[in-house]
Amino acid sequence: MTDTAFTIPAFMLALPEIWLLTAACAVLLADLFIPDARRALTLWLSVAVILVTAGLVVIGFPDASTTTFEGMFIHDPMSAVLKVGMLVIAAFALLCSRAYLADRGLLKGEYFTLALFSVLGMMVMISAGSFLTVYLGLELLSLSLYAMVALDRDSPIAAEAAMKYFVLGAIASGLLLYGMSLLYGVTGSLDLATVSAAVADGQIARAPLMLALAFVVVGLTFKLGAVPFHMWVPDVYHGAPTSVTLFIGSAPKIAAFALLMRMLVDGLESLHADWQQLLIILSVLSLAIGNIVAIAQTNIKRMLAYSTISHVGFLLLGVLAGTAAGYSASMFYALVYALMAAGGFAMVLLLSRQGFEGDRLDDFRGLNERSPWFAFVMLILMASMAGLPPTVGFFAKVEVLAAVVDVELVWLAVVAVAFSIVGAYYYLRVIKLMYFDQAEDTHALAVGPEFKVALSANGLAVLGLGLFPGLLLGLCAAVFL
Amino acid sequence: MIGLSHYLVLSGVLFSIAVAGIFLNRKNVIVLLMCIELMLLAVNTNFIAFSAFLHDLSGQVFVFFILTVAAAEAAIGLAILVVLFRNRASINVEDMGDMKG
Amino acid sequence: MSVESVLFYLFGTILVASALGVITARNPVHGVLLLVLAFFTAAVLWLLLQAEFLAIVLVLVYVGAVMVLFLFVVMMLDVNVARIREGYAKYLPLGIVIALVMAAQIVIVVGAQAFGLEFFPRPEALPADHSNTRALGLLLYTHYVYPFELAAVILLVAIVAAITLTLRHREGTRTQDVSRQVRVKRADRVRLVKMDSDKGEQP
Repeated sequence: MTDTAFTIPAFMLALPEIWLLTAACAVLLADLFIPDARRALTLWLSVAVILVTAGLVVIGFPDASTTTFEGMFIHDPMSAVLKVGMLVIAAFALLCSRAYLADRGLLKGEYFTLALFSVLGMMVMISAGSFLTVYLGLELLSLSLYAMVALDRDSPIAAEAAMKYFVLGAIASGLLLYGMSLLYGVTGSLDLATVSAAVADGQIARAPLMLALAFVVVGLTFKLGAVPFHMWVPDVYHGAPTSVTLFIGSAPKIAAFALLMRMLVDGLESLHADWQQLLIILSVLSLAIGNIVAIAQTNIKRMLAYSTISHVGFLLLGVLAGTAAGYSASMFYALVYALMAAGGFAMVLLLSRQGFEGDRLDDFRGLNERSPWFAFVMLILMASMAGLPPTVGFFAKVEVLAAVVDVELVWLAVVAVAFSIVGAYYYLRVIKLMYFDQAEDTHALAVGPEFKVALSANGLAVLGLGLFPGLLLGLCAAVFL
Repeated sequence: MIGLSHYLVLSGVLFSIAVAGIFLNRKNVIVLLMCIELMLLAVNTNFIAFSAFLHDLSGQVFVFFILTVAAAEAAIGLAILVVLFRNRASINVEDMGDMKG
Repeated sequence: MSVESVLFYLFGTILVASALGVITARNPVHGVLLLVLAFFTAAVLWLLLQAEFLAIVLVLVYVGAVMVLFLFVVMMLDVNVARIREGYAKYLPLGIVIALVMAAQIVIVVGAQAFGLEFFPRPEALPADHSNTRALGLLLYTHYVYPFELAAVILLVAIVAAITLTLRHREGTRTQDVSRQVRVKRADRVRLVKMDSDKGEQP
């Protein structure tokens, strides 16, 4: 026991993570020497660090699945694609936040340090091969996000949002851990591959497995923000500073998809029939509550929060199908949703200025008069979220529905389509406000050039991927071959 | 003789008490944080009991990491609590009604 | 009853009682102290399971640092006890029902049918010179080096977050800033004023 054989792990496989950690510490130190007036330099450094990390992931793109660090780190095509998507969207989120942060006195080095560490947490989660790394990655992400939400120390609603997020996140971790402890007990291992093999073996009593599965699914549901454990999502999205909402609402959804895949598919695939039942309930509830309650919202951050809940419902559909087509459809959905959500929250940032949040739906009235181009970008984003062709959101929904129909859950596909139509109402309402209503507020839009470029690129990406969906779809399908 | 099931039942009871505490003290953030600590204590006891009876140290290693993370979590949770208190001089969750919908 | 059984039931009872105390305590300070008691008794149970290192860590690090932090915060924030008890009675039946259902489910599943002694025989006592700390240390720095580094990052995040959220530079506090004192130059403190000797102010 004490002198087990140990070989030096293959560190090179984790090069992007090692680089990101080193560079994040360097940014933390360098920030001390940057005067307040030039704080935006930290932002540019952080964006550069994230983009270099993405480059390193692309360079080390794997052909097949390998593991290192005793199986705790998985290096496979799925993780590489998800990481690149997550990193690009995280860089976008930081790039859009300069003016907003500067206006509110939040342009501090810690904001970017915490963001970099949360990105590291997401990368660890995406590559996790053991309960231990799943848990540590999740906590690294969550702890950084709790602090980012509370960063605006003088805002009571931000503090309230952070507290709710923290308490519910910690309870979710507790439930997830209890499930993990039971799985460890019955399988004797923390390693996902070993757990999967032991469960598939069929030697284990069903009762403890079911209890463990229930705890794991409830914990995951909390983290994903699916109904009935969604209460925190609207409050956190609303209360957090908008740039933080943009950060939380986009890239972590990709990591959450990876979390779901690692725990349920890599770890417990042989229990598919059991967790499929649970996910069907969660998915239908999320689609229903998310889409219906979103209609009643007057604040666009809350509206997008409920829209997130409904999109999580869609995401679950592909996973619960339990086929390679389903997993790749869900993966495509997660990447596309993160892109659309990033654009949607960035639009709120576009309308904000010093002392003005711009987060009411009414603030979008007459946007077409103020800026025809950005009204058009918002039009694309809303059409994509509603799932209208020729935007990419349409293909994301079609792929998921096809996967669900393939496993003969036609009724579920019908329910999903019905609620998507309900959902289309509130997305189209935003378009109506922009194009057919009078502007109440005629201030010039106060954002920097980098913001305009990034947001335009985002809108064009949503349109471009919709016109040419083959590339990304092919990539997502190839991952699960 | 004390077997594995004794320890598991004990930590199961502890976990249930923590969940009950979360329901009972929905208004009091400090007690909520303490209930979360109790929850983690139950999880840790589970891991250590399994680790002992499976002759496998990885369960104890997991507990080591849970303790580390829980310490970090407590520090951040209490920092957020202090920010909240400075903002509204109350930790009563009932007073948190600024966001509805 | 063997010594182990006596110890298990004694400390198990104290653990459950103190946990119940934590969730029902009127005064949050009492709650924290009862939680400390719960941690101490849990540490004894961990010792029975031969997890000596973690038992000591639980007392030294957890009780010694984390619980003291809790106490600091509880005492710093002047909690209005009467107000936070509101609604306690309202949720009491629901809380009890949920806890009982959950406990019953867990107990049925993890009871002796699946995890009794016949399935999991008692671990043999480790030899007296066995070092739990050494065994864990060997694993942590070899097999678990990756999570070990991650744990370090999490602690760094906690430091950065806690400082960012709570540190305030208030004006008017009379603290000594040594680095400013050291960096000070003559020009900052001494100003030479040129005065003509004959035109100077006369007393």
